[in-house]
Amino acid sequence: MRKSPARFLSLIFIAVLLLPATLSLAQDEMAQPLIGSWETCAVPTNLPESVNIGAVFALSEAASVYGVAQQNAVQLAVDEINASHYLGEGTTLNVIFEDSAGNRDQAITAMTKLVEEDQVAAVLGPTLSSEAFGADPVAQENSTVVMGVSNTAIGITDMGDYVFRNSLAEAAVIPGTIAQATEQLGLTKAGLLYGNDDDFTVSGYEVFKEALEENGVEIVGEETFVKGDVDFNTQLTNLISAQPDAIVVSALAAEAVQIIIQTRAQGYAGPIIGGNGFNSPAVLRDSGADSEGLIVGGAWNYGNPNPTESSVAFVTAYEAAYESSPDQFAAQAYTGAWLLATAIRCGDSADRTAIRDALAGITDFDSPLGVFSFDENRDPLHDPIAQIVVEGKFQPLAVVMAEATAEATEESGG
Amino acid sequence: MDFFRSIGITEIVFQFMLVNSILGLSIYLTLYTGMFSLANAGFMAIGAYTGVILTQNFDLPLGVALIGGMILGGIIAIPIGFPVLRLKDIYLAIATIGFGEVVRILILNFDTLAESITGQEVKLTRGALGITGIPKITETWQLIVFLVVVAYFMIRLHRSRFGRAMAAIRQDEQAAANMGINVVYVKNTVFIMSAVLAAAAGVLKAHLTRTISPGDFGFDQAVSILAFAVLGGTSTWIGPIIGGFVLTALPEILRDFKQYRGIVNGSILLLVIVYLPGGLVNPAGWSRLWKRLRQSPEAGENHART
Repeated sequence: MRKSPARFLSLIFIAVLLLPATLSLAQDEMAQPLIGSWETCAVPTNLPESVNIGAVFALSEAASVYGVAQQNAVQLAVDEINASHYLGEGTTLNVIFEDSAGNRDQAITAMTKLVEEDQVAAVLGPTLSSEAFGADPVAQENSTVVMGVSNTAIGITDMGDYVFRNSLAEAAVIPGTIAQATEQLGLTKAGLLYGNDDDFTVSGYEVFKEALEENGVEIVGEETFVKGDVDFNTQLTNLISAQPDAIVVSALAAEAVQIIIQTRAQGYAGPIIGGNGFNSPAVLRDSGADSEGLIVGGAWNYGNPNPTESSVAFVTAYEAAYESSPDQFAAQAYTGAWLLATAIRCGDSADRTAIRDALAGITDFDSPLGVFSFDENRDPLHDPIAQIVVEGKFQPLAVVMAEATAEATEESGG
Repeated sequence: MDFFRSIGITEIVFQFMLVNSILGLSIYLTLYTGMFSLANAGFMAIGAYTGVILTQNFDLPLGVALIGGMILGGIIAIPIGFPVLRLKDIYLAIATIGFGEVVRILILNFDTLAESITGQEVKLTRGALGITGIPKITETWQLIVFLVVVAYFMIRLHRSRFGRAMAAIRQDEQAAANMGINVVYVKNTVFIMSAVLAAAAGVLKAHLTRTISPGDFGFDQAVSILAFAVLGGTSTWIGPIIGGFVLTALPEILRDFKQYRGIVNGSILLLVIVYLPGGLVNPAGWSRLWKRLRQSPEAGENHART
């Protein structure tokens, strides 16, 4: 609508003319991606012409904040895998996306469709942990690998030996975040706010509480809210009146924005430490300047000072394809798709059990998330990163604090 | 069978369809008696948790759990019904929404509450995380048998003296009372029957989804249950069954629409409500629609615009 129709049509015309040329260029010049076990595993020879994998993501309703980024990232990974012939010259990887709408019943039916009707080799997803508890057993019963790329609740991989996840559990991210924050900011008192009616926020709260106690931070107040709340002023007034050094919040993205805005509106300027739900560019965009000083632990950071080579390549490719920056959920979904492809390549089979065995054997896989391995419980092993919002962007906390110290020394020195 | 599978209705979808039609029937009973109650999600929660605790913590078979859940749902409905059913219309709806929330929050905090009373660690409802790892033991034939039994019960009920009393109360409560119908008795009995059905659906559903948490039985669920009955139509007992079937199957059948699924789904429901206000199973509504379409196609469009 912004462009005139004539210009738009001419652009299409040119694009159509150039299409064959660019396609062939892309095929010829597609450099070997920086991700993937190119050296350790030989080119597979026993694969069929096409291998189907499934993906159950929340592509509509509230949780689509995560699901759409996941779909984009998986599509990007699959396109790269096919363009670079990662599974051999004659094999294409197809992905069937199904929408769960963030609803458990639909996640179960979508998983059943993929595993029993479409006979996919493996499944990525579902987006929410509460969906996973209902849907993953369907895959487990059919001996099909299901890999959560955003499930962080406790007990996901206890559902069976075909259930994997590449998303760090809150239990793995939060202790590191709290330890780094306590060390860098010298916290002694903290107030806790959490949603008490959701798997994700409650397990986050439990880990936060334990981590704070472990680091010798006194909890001066605990307040709760429920999913869908929009007014947090009462809880925040109580917390702020106890004069904490930091307010620690376990909430999903939808509530996170209002909590940030209302905390700042009450005049509290100190750090807000959030769970995984805060780790999204959408939260920063919607809360604007109020998000300054928000501290979040994450599995992946866009502005990581020492990103892996594959992470840089992923960001470039994602931005070129979708004209927006990837978030942690995209990075995890992208890694998940590559992990499945690697299991298919290294096992040289599209058989469900062979994929499971090959996947469980993946160690020291160089991915955007860092050097990645599965532990014996099929949970991920890689380093989390503590991040703080500065000028509207997630920056690694250690880098920001080092800069601040350097500036302070300069000033006192000058 | 293959045809249904090809359009997206797998066995699990069919199972959800059956459960939801039972839920539709549970609210149909109260609607048929002129009571706008939204307590069914709460009773469903009571049934689901009771059933799961009976099968998981006491290793009882599903049949016993089903009866246990139904009995507890019915017992709890008695003290709730007496005060709440004095209310009418929207006030009754608000009060019963309140009941549903109380149930949900009690289940949410049950363990902490029990711990503070007994002083011992309690792990029964497991808070917001809910109960996971429930085996899937509800079979399709059990659901079909249950639904057939309930449908037979509905037919018998409508032909009985009690069923006529229900209809009379819906038409005019005062007139019914004047005719000698014990309005309080009929209303409370219907409320208990509705609660028992909702609780049964809860037990059966919990053993299909393998996990339950308090969030599954909130206001959303209460409204979904209402939608099954309203979309299907509340003039006969077939309506809620068809409503439950259609509302559950439609999103699955429309999976091929990918990202437009929600729009197509919503549009179809909107068209049904606009052109068939009495629900899908409503002969009068269909004949009215047929007449309108045959006489002047434009009239229908005008109606849609206003």
